[in-house]
Amino acid sequence: MVPRCQVEILYFAKSAEITGVRSETISVPQEIKALQLWNEIETRHPGLADVRNQVIFAVRQEYVELGDQLLLLHPGDEIAIIPPISGG
Amino acid sequence: LLKDMDKVEETSKDIIKFTAEKLSVDDVSQLVTSPLCGAISLFVGTTRNNFEGKKVISLEYEAYLPMAENEIRKICSDIRQKWPVKHIAVFHRLGLVPVSEASIIIAVSSAHRAASLEAVTYAIDTLKARVPIWKKELYEESSSSWKRNKECFWATNS
Repeated sequence: MVPRCQVEILYFAKSAEITGVRSETISVPQEIKALQLWNEIETRHPGLADVRNQVIFAVRQEYVELGDQLLLLHPGDEIAIIPPISGG
Repeated sequence: LLKDMDKVEETSKDIIKFTAEKLSVDDVSQLVTSPLCGAISLFVGTTRNNFEGKKVISLEYEAYLPMAENEIRKICSDIRQKWPVKHIAVFHRLGLVPVSEASIIIAVSSAHRAASLEAVTYAIDTLKARVPIWKKELYEESSSSWKRNKECFWATNS
């Protein structure tokens, strides 16, 4: 059984409108593939399926695509859902 | 007096600011001014009043602040690797930015103009591709739409 930890999920822009929250703490396996993490989050907020193909993660402020990359998470890590950006 | 000028050392500055207040081109320009520089190049992004036939009243911006600031710092670092610039300032407004007001000002100073002109172009192009900032267009008919930069390095399918 893979140990779990509490991480903070941050929502921005369209993803925040869909979930209705800006942040929440969830319990996830400390080792998890990016896409699996997305699936856990989408299970909590099914409306996020609409943006699944457009978003990227930022894990500890580094971009990670929703794919096979294995994430090594620590308690209190910040994971942001990043919809397509439009700064400037 | 010439000896004093030789001894003048000016630490190069990267000035990054996010604010809900109205941006001032004059203030940002002053921040990068230097007696060592013969050029200051500026980019000012302003809210346009139309998109695909719809009348835009305002843009509304939000940002993932600590990461946005860090990503801009990385851009400043890249600029310094590529061009001999002196000071760099990037000011981005958050919240509502009405038509014709500035959402972003980028100012770069350099001894000669080619470096700062090229650096400013690189800065805005890279910010649009990488920095976690979002804008929503607010239309006259009370609808709105989250925008996506074509430079955004992911989500190329529409």
